[in-house]
Amino acid sequence: MRNALTASLEDYLEAIFQIIEEKQAVRAKDIARRLGVSNPSVTGALRSLAEKELVAYAPYDVISLTPRGKAAARDVVRRHEVLRDFFVNVLAVEESAADEAACRMEHSIPKVILERFIRFAEFVEVCPRGGEKWIRDFGARCGQGATREDCERCIESVLEEVRHRKRRESRKAFPTAKLNELKPGQKGKVLKVNFHEGGGRKISEMGVSPGAVVEIERVSPMGEPIDIKVKGYHLSLRREEAEEVEIETL
Amino acid sequence: MKTEIVVALAGNPNAGKTTIFNELTGSRQHVGNYPGVTVECKEGFRRHAGADLRIVDLPGTYSLTAYSEEELVARNFLIDEKPDVVVDILDASNLERNLYLAVQLIELGVPLVLAFNMSDVARARGYEFDLPKLERFFGAVIVETTGNKGDGMTALLDAAVRVARSGPRADFRAPAVVYGKVIEEEIARIAPLVEKAGLFAGKYDPRWTAIKLLESDRELRKEVLSLEVIDQLEKSAVRIQKMLGEPPETAIAGDRYGFISGACQEAVRSTIEIRHTTSDQIDAVVTHPVFGIPIFLGLMYLVFHLTFTIGAPPMDWIEMFFGWLGGGIGAVWPEGRARLLQSLLVDGIIGGVGGVVVFLPNILLLFLAIAVLEYTGYMARAAFLMDNVMHKIGLHGKSFIPMLIGFGCTVPAILATRTLDNRRDRLTTMLVLPLISCGARLTIYALVIPAFFPQAWQAPMLWIIYVIGILLAVAGAKLLRRTIFKGESVPFVMELPPYRMPTLKAVLIYMWDLGWQYLKKAGTVILGISILLWALSSFPALPESEAARFRAARQEAASARMTGAERVDWIAGIDNEEAKAALLNSYAGRIGKGMEPALEPMGFDWRIGIALIGAFAAKEVFVAQMGIVHAVGEADEESESLREKLRQAYSPLVGFCVMVFCLIAAPCSATVAVTAREGGSWKWGLLQLGGLTSLGYVLTVIVYQVGRFLGIGAG
Repeated sequence: MRNALTASLEDYLEAIFQIIEEKQAVRAKDIARRLGVSNPSVTGALRSLAEKELVAYAPYDVISLTPRGKAAARDVVRRHEVLRDFFVNVLAVEESAADEAACRMEHSIPKVILERFIRFAEFVEVCPRGGEKWIRDFGARCGQGATREDCERCIESVLEEVRHRKRRESRKAFPTAKLNELKPGQKGKVLKVNFHEGGGRKISEMGVSPGAVVEIERVSPMGEPIDIKVKGYHLSLRREEAEEVEIETL
Repeated sequence: MKTEIVVALAGNPNAGKTTIFNELTGSRQHVGNYPGVTVECKEGFRRHAGADLRIVDLPGTYSLTAYSEEELVARNFLIDEKPDVVVDILDASNLERNLYLAVQLIELGVPLVLAFNMSDVARARGYEFDLPKLERFFGAVIVETTGNKGDGMTALLDAAVRVARSGPRADFRAPAVVYGKVIEEEIARIAPLVEKAGLFAGKYDPRWTAIKLLESDRELRKEVLSLEVIDQLEKSAVRIQKMLGEPPETAIAGDRYGFISGACQEAVRSTIEIRHTTSDQIDAVVTHPVFGIPIFLGLMYLVFHLTFTIGAPPMDWIEMFFGWLGGGIGAVWPEGRARLLQSLLVDGIIGGVGGVVVFLPNILLLFLAIAVLEYTGYMARAAFLMDNVMHKIGLHGKSFIPMLIGFGCTVPAILATRTLDNRRDRLTTMLVLPLISCGARLTIYALVIPAFFPQAWQAPMLWIIYVIGILLAVAGAKLLRRTIFKGESVPFVMELPPYRMPTLKAVLIYMWDLGWQYLKKAGTVILGISILLWALSSFPALPESEAARFRAARQEAASARMTGAERVDWIAGIDNEEAKAALLNSYAGRIGKGMEPALEPMGFDWRIGIALIGAFAAKEVFVAQMGIVHAVGEADEESESLREKLRQAYSPLVGFCVMVFCLIAAPCSATVAVTAREGGSWKWGLLQLGGLTSLGYVLTVIVYQVGRFLGIGAG
């Protein structure tokens, strides 16, 4: 069935899928704006997608994807993301350029090759002989040209890293938690601050931003708010705000 | 060359900004009037190095994202007034967070001097600053100061004047605050669109606008009409969320902190590690799980005691003084000449001024206590302790103190809401405060309860009235938060500043400022209303025929044969009758009578109506007016003869209704005036007056009608 879709129809499918993700409802106007095409061509495309039973569409009604359409769209989006991530993370291509190339390649790449591609990217990231560091070195080498003398040391450090990782895994990784789950005296490192009606900004402006170390100092006698120490000063938060802060316990 | 240099003082709350401002300007300061009157900027003057400096104390803020009114006022001042130099006061012992504002000032591109304040504390904590390196990093002159000792002030002024006159030193280049790759890409997409659309052209730099828009700056966003920009902003936000796993706001804040940490890692050294400062030790006691709340309640009792018990003698002196003044004028006034002018002077003006000044001891003492609580840092702990309870009623932890003060007097309680940072919290608290029974209303209860209720019922009755008020205040606050003050809930993200010893100067200036503002702004309104109410109850005078009748009666009494004591009683009786007749004949009396049909559903007659008009001047006047209309003279709440009259005229149900109505309806004129003044608009004063009066009316009618239907206390 997928073979019957043209590159342009795939683009439409992808756009509809993304707009639904962001805004819940799709209008022809939104699609036209996102893809930079005219309204009549959107109508045309919608009609042929509806013929293929990928889209439920009637003029002037809300557009939705059929289950099959959703699966097909997800497939397109996934191909796009896999390619883009490979370009950015492995090939160290600049993000916008990666996005553009992925856009063009996603329609033509056969499924088998794509699967292998994903497995290769995973393998490169995980294999000790490769790994993230190796990829980073590749990025640096692309920028600076070759250096050979460090190879021996590099391989040694890789071996070191494998042993280190083994040790750490046996020790159990640091658990993640929400800030409100910590007890007085416990410390954590902020992983991310979820957005919560402007509250997230206020919290991060006060210094509770990713990377910062926070310590629960005490809890108000009434159970709320809590007093945390961050960047060397004390900050009081209600539990509902602390819940928006994800941390790694230390 | 401009002769006047405008210096703006910016900085975080608790960084010692006010102390430095006081140190720099001494007593040469006043409250400036800037748009958005509820947040005040103080101004002061100083001559230094041949230049006249106008120093503007901006509200203390942590950021410039227009998140709160303070931030908006500070930012608008910086952008619209273009001060010649901005002095950012930083708490050097808490540098990283304080630098967050500095980074935003750098991004805004203002001529900047950084004052590393409390450098003594920082040194004691073992921080060592590589100042030349930090100066290069931030592209600004750095001066070390110790505000509470006055150290470094000359150097600070020197630096400010130099930067204002000649701009930043040539070798300083404002650093580019560079964000992460993903964010920079989005800025690069938005900035050209902003420039193309001509958004804020000439006012803000496109890059700055792009960053602020990405941060969802409400003030800027609402002026963006370009679809292209809005569309790009949406896309950018989605992309950043997708790539970084967090929204642009927090990502940008995180990057700014990253920039700051980088600089601090290189240029700040911490030589000793102090795990627990004195401040932490104090906190271990005052926020203790068991002792924390008793300590808080004890301190609150002290504040209350200080305000109302120590304040009572000076209040009595003031009342005595004005009484003596009025009496003195009455005594020396030529007999029978220009009686009206005498009455205006004695009852209207002197009475009115006395009514304003009489609050002053309370207000000064209360603000002395609040200044100490605020400047030591305890206020934040009080909010920390009480927030859970107050949050449940939709208020902030800091609302507790005004509510408590409200049991003494509503006027200083409304002034005490100044400690609330958020405008919605502040207005909500102000509007419901009159429901907390104040001391003046206690005089009404003290008159009415013993008149109608047996001994065993008196205490529970008083308790019921107070509880009704508290419950209505809670319900009112909830209602207001759900209706007119709806909106995103403001996070309770509050700094708990280290405990500090307040300087006497700062405390006194705080106290003086508020006292003066009360006298000037609210006082004039209260005086005006007092004179108006005086006129209402004095005009028109009794017709000559009536007055002659009372004169004749008095003469008859003088010539009648009886003992001295009997004569005095008789004449007093005539005087009381005349006072009653005069009040009935006045506009106030006529209005009271005219109101009777409206008062009837509550069980009130015209006499209560007249007394209620008096209660609008001040609640305790109700008692005196009741005395006059029942012809027992100027009664007080202990008057048994007045209670006797009340028992004859009304049922216990009406007595209860009088208390309910006085509790809820028509806050006194001083309260309305202060609410209007502090709320920044008469709208709030009138809303409070109208809202509470309607609520009081409806509830009292319900109580009376239901009570009568069930036959409770109607006999």
